[in-house]
Amino acid sequence: MRVEYINPFVEAAFNVLKEVLTSEVKRGELYLKSSTQPVMGVAALVGLAGNVEGRVLFDMSMDTALAIASDMNGEKLEKMDDLAKATITELANMITAQAVTKLHELGFTFDLTPPAIFTGENMEVTDSEVEALIVPMELSYGKVEINVAVRERV
Amino acid sequence: MKTKMDFPSINERKPEGVKEDGSPYRVLVVDDSMFVTKQISQILTSEGFEVVDTASDGLQGLEKYKELYPNIDVVTMDITMPKMDGVSALEKIIEFDKAAKVIMISALGKQDLVKKALLIGAKNYIVKPLDRVKVLERIIQSIK
Repeated sequence: MRVEYINPFVEAAFNVLKEVLTSEVKRGELYLKSSTQPVMGVAALVGLAGNVEGRVLFDMSMDTALAIASDMNGEKLEKMDDLAKATITELANMITAQAVTKLHELGFTFDLTPPAIFTGENMEVTDSEVEALIVPMELSYGKVEINVAVRERV
Repeated sequence: MKTKMDFPSINERKPEGVKEDGSPYRVLVVDDSMFVTKQISQILTSEGFEVVDTASDGLQGLEKYKELYPNIDVVTMDITMPKMDGVSALEKIIEFDKAAKVIMISALGKQDLVKKALLIGAKNYIVKPLDRVKVLERIIQSIK
């Protein structure tokens, strides 16, 4: 997978997280993962389809998701209820919208699916035909991994 | 002690969401995200506006506007929504009430749709992420 696909997502995630959260945001080191990888507990998945295709996963633990949702709402949310899910969905929407604007400027054209939120324990994601690049974003209440598996359509 | 007389009260400023006659501006919030609806409602009520109703898609937004009319001052309208998108709902609201004050709420990268909405008659637009200052500034500009 070409690194140029992931950079807009990393930049967008950094900008949006910094803007909507009170936490500090630090960018971790990029790494490549094998075809099957564990998912931390709450994952927002956005699909891409066009002259590039694949998916972006915003992956975090349940505690981190609740802390983010609480921060964005300005009140403590105790469980992953509809409001907390809507908040994480909106976060994924804002990040992807900003990244896609950048990718469109670079000449890539594709459509996006609305985010789907997965919650649960012991989850794994398998991308059999495209490798995934991951950039962790370190927050004061845990990390969010930006996990991008995208390829050019053949 | 004359403390109260010596210091100006911080509450002297009239909230922007209140009309000359003391009644609040009435707002309909149309958005499919519970989070965004809550966020806009909190920002507006903190400044004296009254959120009279909310709708979670364009069609419901249009119906609620017709029900509320003429007891409605301003609408915030998301662009991407199920059933009927925000631009179509805006078009129908303007057909029904030429003087409707509708402010579009947009994600980044929807410039074409925002332009279309402004041509149809939207009064202003706000790009997400929403912040308090931006939301209040744009809405107040449109109603005054």
